[in-house]
Amino acid sequence: MNASKVTVFPRREPPVILVVEDDVITRSLVSDELRSGGFKVLEAASTDDAVAVLDTMRVDLLFIAIRLPGAHNGLDLARLVRARAIPAKLILATGMEDEALGLPKDEDLGPFLRKPYQVSQVVELVSHSLNWSEPADK
Amino acid sequence: MSTISTNPTPKPGTPVETVLVVEDEILIRHVIADYLRECGYRVFEAVNADEAVAMIETPEISIDIVFSDVQMPGSMDGFALARWIRANKKGIQVILTSGVERSADIAATLCEAGPLLEKPYEPQGVIERIRQLTANAGAGQMQARSDKT
Repeated sequence: MNASKVTVFPRREPPVILVVEDDVITRSLVSDELRSGGFKVLEAASTDDAVAVLDTMRVDLLFIAIRLPGAHNGLDLARLVRARAIPAKLILATGMEDEALGLPKDEDLGPFLRKPYQVSQVVELVSHSLNWSEPADK
Repeated sequence: MSTISTNPTPKPGTPVETVLVVEDEILIRHVIADYLRECGYRVFEAVNADEAVAMIETPEISIDIVFSDVQMPGSMDGFALARWIRANKKGIQVILTSGVERSADIAATLCEAGPLLEKPYEPQGVIERIRQLTANAGAGQMQARSDKT
């Protein structure tokens, strides 16, 4: 066999998801379901915690609640990710209407998920955004 | 909002306990929570004692062991959380950890597992403490059964 023709597929690491949500029950529900879907999940309760993670490790997707306590909300965090050119997908969760968010029409931060949502919707949206399906042998 | 998924059927030999890790430092919390998951435990996370109480009081979630830092922001520290659990949720075992040496004596009076786990700890040390706790709990249940006969 010609070794140059052998294709070696890299080991398929699960994508890393950072869930940013201050409500512990919602955060746990979403994170637990994402882990069941084969993702590696980190949980942050604030934008400060999220930034600490982003400063330390690679994250493939952030699922961010827009309404967060503290000086910076979820939109600020999403804009920071874009400003730093971090190659991560974004999904934002909000109970607010578009007008209330006050987003400029040309600002594309990522898809929005309206609260209240089903946890299964989060897993579907995350899987679709990352083109990920759980390995069959898992 | 859908309910929390039920525990999957564990493989033989894997732990069946659910652990709640309470730690405000996200990177420390992630490392120990991830390690416990790798060891087969089902793990939930809380950033402070208030979140921990909310998790413990959620009917759909059954916590067996709380592994908590002592120094935390919020209305309660780890000691207060341990006292709350002792007063309200007797079935939950508590392991406390701290970088402050003088905390050890207080922890010894609050935790069935003995003195607190000093920071910095090795993740394996946490596993050993959990195993010790669950073994003691199992022995206690057997003793209670034999006392009834």
